Amino acid sequence: MKAMATVTASSAFASMVGCGSKRASDASGSGSGSGDFTITFAQGADPRGLDPAYIDDGESAKVMVQIYENLLKYKAKNCEVEPGLAKSYDVSDDGLTYTFKLRKGIKFQDGADFNAAAVKKSIGRQLEPDRTDDMPYAAFTFGSKADGTGIESIETPDDYTVVMKLRAVSSAFLANLAMCMASPIVSPKAIEKGNTNEHPVGTGPYSFVSWTKNSDIKLKRFDGYWDKEHAGKAKNIVFRFIAESSTRVTALANGEADIIDGVDEADVDQVTKNGDVVDKFDGMNINYMAFNTQSDTFKTAEARKAFAKAIDVEEVVKSLYKKYATYANSVMPLWMAPYDKDIKQTAYDADAAKKELASLGITKVKCITYSNPRPYNGKGGTALAEAFQGYLRKVGVEMTIDQYDWTSYKTTVQAGNYDVCFYGWNGDNGDPDNFMNLLAADDYSMNVARWDNADYKKLIAKGLKTPNGSARDDVYHECEKMVADQQVWIPVSHSINILCHKKGVKGYVFHPTAVTFLKNCTKSA
Amino acid sequence: MFRYVVKRLLQAIPVLLGLSIVVFLLMHVFSPDPAPVVLGEHATQAQMHAWRNSMGLNKPLIQQYFSFLIGFLHGDLGVSYYTHTSVTKEIMSRFPATVELALVAIVLASVIGIALGVVSAVHKGTPIDAVSMLLALVGISMPIFWSGVLMIILFSGVLHWLPSGGRINPLLAPVGGTGLFLVDTLLSGDMEAFVDALRHIILPALALSLYSMAIITRMTRSSMLDALNEDYVRTARAKGLTPHRVHKHHALRNAMLPVTTVIGLQLGSLLGGAMLTETVFAWPGIGKFIVDSILKSDFPIVQGTVMLIGVIFVIINLIVDIIYAFLDPRIKYTKEEG
Amino acid sequence: MAEATADTVKPTAEKGESIWDDVWYSLSHNVTAMVSLGFIALVALLAILSAIFPQILPYDPYAQDLSQSFAAPSAAHWFGCDQQGRDIFSRVIVGGQVSLTVGLLSVSISLVVGVTLGAIAGYKGGKVDTVIMRCMDVLLAVPSILLAITFMAALGKGIDKAVVAIGLVSIPEYARIVRSQILSVKENDYVSAARVIGDSDAKIIFRHVLPNVAPSIIVRATLGISSAILDAAALGFLGLGVQPPQAEWGDMLGRGRNYIFQAPHAMIYPGLAITLTVLAFNLLGDGIRDAVDPKSRRR
Repeated sequence: MKAMATVTASSAFASMVGCGSKRASDASGSGSGSGDFTITFAQGADPRGLDPAYIDDGESAKVMVQIYENLLKYKAKNCEVEPGLAKSYDVSDDGLTYTFKLRKGIKFQDGADFNAAAVKKSIGRQLEPDRTDDMPYAAFTFGSKADGTGIESIETPDDYTVVMKLRAVSSAFLANLAMCMASPIVSPKAIEKGNTNEHPVGTGPYSFVSWTKNSDIKLKRFDGYWDKEHAGKAKNIVFRFIAESSTRVTALANGEADIIDGVDEADVDQVTKNGDVVDKFDGMNINYMAFNTQSDTFKTAEARKAFAKAIDVEEVVKSLYKKYATYANSVMPLWMAPYDKDIKQTAYDADAAKKELASLGITKVKCITYSNPRPYNGKGGTALAEAFQGYLRKVGVEMTIDQYDWTSYKTTVQAGNYDVCFYGWNGDNGDPDNFMNLLAADDYSMNVARWDNADYKKLIAKGLKTPNGSARDDVYHECEKMVADQQVWIPVSHSINILCHKKGVKGYVFHPTAVTFLKNCTKSA
Repeated sequence: MFRYVVKRLLQAIPVLLGLSIVVFLLMHVFSPDPAPVVLGEHATQAQMHAWRNSMGLNKPLIQQYFSFLIGFLHGDLGVSYYTHTSVTKEIMSRFPATVELALVAIVLASVIGIALGVVSAVHKGTPIDAVSMLLALVGISMPIFWSGVLMIILFSGVLHWLPSGGRINPLLAPVGGTGLFLVDTLLSGDMEAFVDALRHIILPALALSLYSMAIITRMTRSSMLDALNEDYVRTARAKGLTPHRVHKHHALRNAMLPVTTVIGLQLGSLLGGAMLTETVFAWPGIGKFIVDSILKSDFPIVQGTVMLIGVIFVIINLIVDIIYAFLDPRIKYTKEEG
Repeated sequence: MAEATADTVKPTAEKGESIWDDVWYSLSHNVTAMVSLGFIALVALLAILSAIFPQILPYDPYAQDLSQSFAAPSAAHWFGCDQQGRDIFSRVIVGGQVSLTVGLLSVSISLVVGVTLGAIAGYKGGKVDTVIMRCMDVLLAVPSILLAITFMAALGKGIDKAVVAIGLVSIPEYARIVRSQILSVKENDYVSAARVIGDSDAKIIFRHVLPNVAPSIIVRATLGISSAILDAAALGFLGLGVQPPQAEWGDMLGRGRNYIFQAPHAMIYPGLAITLTVLAFNLLGDGIRDAVDPKSRRR
């Protein structure tokens, strides 16, 4: 055990061994693995819950990925899938039947066996008719009868084989099965007990110990983890919930946390000054402004283009987000869709904008935006809208901004009473359909441009049916071109995720789906 | 005495009923629709409608109100929209944190406040008096969310003496017991955890106590001055008692009556009003809980917490009145309030 | 009888005038109170002038200049700049408009409604009294800031709503003061006399009763403005206050709080503005109380 000057999590933990008092951490297992240390990860908020069927937020996902595993998993750096709890899978020629062969000898943290029945229970409860309203990702991940999509049935011919029949071909299906929402496999025994949302049980490298609301969640290494070679290194993992970025930075400096995420660009200098380390990762997101294509002002592409010429988006991105967001030339980030690099947005030309807007008679624009920072826009929608407002003032257009708390924003957007609005998207599964489908959705709280284009919708349908590969890439490239030509959106930026940690913390894996895998994480004083 | 207590309890019923109506109306009639918040970014109109149905939000208001009221009487405040957990349980798991913070703050406020108040009264008109009165006024005038953040910057960010927020290092947290970490760690003899809990509570308790401290200082000073002017104190002085004895034995004891009342009332508002302090210091109590829940439109939690705070408030006011009546024989139990 | 009435009423009126002369005399010799009054007048003057002649401000408080984002205080920007590169000094001055407006308007609401209800309850007594005072108890059943936050959560953002929320929650304080004062003056000779000669209730309340409770109400209102400004700032801090780009002290503080390391000035100056203004109203309130209440003046 290493001596430390200050009372950090690990030294506190080390010195209490054998003291015999009643503490939360005393519940920890004896530990067969390598380390006796604790990794403390500080994030902005409590999870909404810890059962993958009932959550839809990143804060939950970050905790759950330590506890649960899926049939398939993403590769470390991108969203290509590889075997997870299923050791292999097979897709029928018509693309409608998926057969998974499961690994044997895996146990859940509560001692239940992992087998075909467990998979059927965990996923089956999220299919109709058992699906309930409080499963936010069930329809998205596993489809629905009404739409004619997703899983029609799950069969278990033997204990280690699962067969899923789909209603329609979907090239995104495998990616969905690796997602942190809905798809992770939950212990059947725990599901029976209920309460998995507060006492999660999975097959992952860490098991759940306790959750003190608004404060912390404690996990301990699962000694019965099946993959001995990749078992967790730290004995305990603690998630702490600290709302403000600047306070998380202080907590890191004081040794109250080993890793913090969601760090505001404004605080980065302070982190470096404190002697801590800043890591940056590409994000899977898009921060954009949408035109209301059904409004009188912007029903024509001509008007939308005239507006777009007034805004120097590159300048906005540079000054507002500094180095912590990249200018978006298209809807998808380029690391996800490298084939989009030739897509160009309307160039900044204030003089032309002034002339064109004047001849179109556009002098007033009604804008709505959200006030809170979002994962794709760390400065919040108001700062971004105000930047646009400044450019428009220069070309003689007055843009009024009504801002809403995120809580009421969605309803406001749905009502459709705006010329332009700010929005964003955080990718779920790395599939291009997950992004491009936003402009084809019939639900106007997703398709905030209220764009209804038959050709585009055909392309989207085609994309889902085309197997992954260059033919599929071409379809989405076509989609991107169409969105740019029609100027449905003004794509603004892809935000970069900032993680900071103490020197000596190593081995954590940040995934583009914005979760951090901690099982390989180690630290030295 | 017994009749007085019963009468006061009966009077509390219409008040709490009125509060439940006000809160219910605010949450259900004037508030924005919670469905889009609760169901998240993927929700469709149809899903939102189905969700409202399942939560009973499409039922007539009267029916919704009565099921809320009946649940409340049974100690069942419903389930959170957002986490599907029992509101009563969620509140109870956070309540000890609020109680602990309020108790430490009121002790700080009383000790320092009474000391300052006595000193200024005794040294009336001197610079000592002027300075303590100005300090007390500054204490009332500084927004807690400003002084609190300044304290964090100084003691945690710059000096690194104290933690920036939270209640205790999670690994040291005691399990079970009273839920008051300072008490639990002392009882189990875990000094390291006790010190850690103490280090966490110093800044929030100090920030929270400033306002009450100021009020107590001012009240102590003015009732001390009243007491020093009473005939018997003058008599005592005339009899040649030392000023110290006069202050201590006569004036202070009589001055304590109104001060006790103020301390009791302040404790009531600390228990229910620590929203800003808990938010600034990430203190996991009901104050922070209610602010978070309001921002998330989690109405069952807002309703439940406000009602709970109302009950606590009424009970504490009652206790204060009883203690007052007990200490001051001049009060008759039948006395009307107001 | 008529002569008797005139005799008993007249002295009150004269006493009233002399009270205010006395008060002003005593107040004007209270250095702290006068300095506070001067400070408040300065803040108010700047707020009003900047509303009428925005050109007196060093910068347009709403004009962004992203190149100046979080610029530190300097000769050009006395209080530095905020995230959007807006001049904080200009925004603090303009923010005074909001804080003073909320303070004055919300106190007016609670004053008018509270005094009316308190007067009716105290004067009428009986059932009316019980009903009114029970309603007041409902508002007092939770801490006022919690009630104000709940109101704002339901009504939505905006200063107009903040004014209403803060005004509503302080009604009971005024109602209680007025009611108890009325109970004690109701039986005074001159009130009984007025009643005997058949003056209407309203006339009695306005002519004879209210002037007597005015001093304590004025003291309470002055202190009330300070707590209203604090409450408004708290709402702004929690993100329940104004709509952007409007400048409000609490809102500026709440935004600045996220950048305490990079730009401490973004929260120090708005916080200072709140504290000094509130302190000034508190000192003035104390001064007025000392002036109107001879008992406390003795101290």
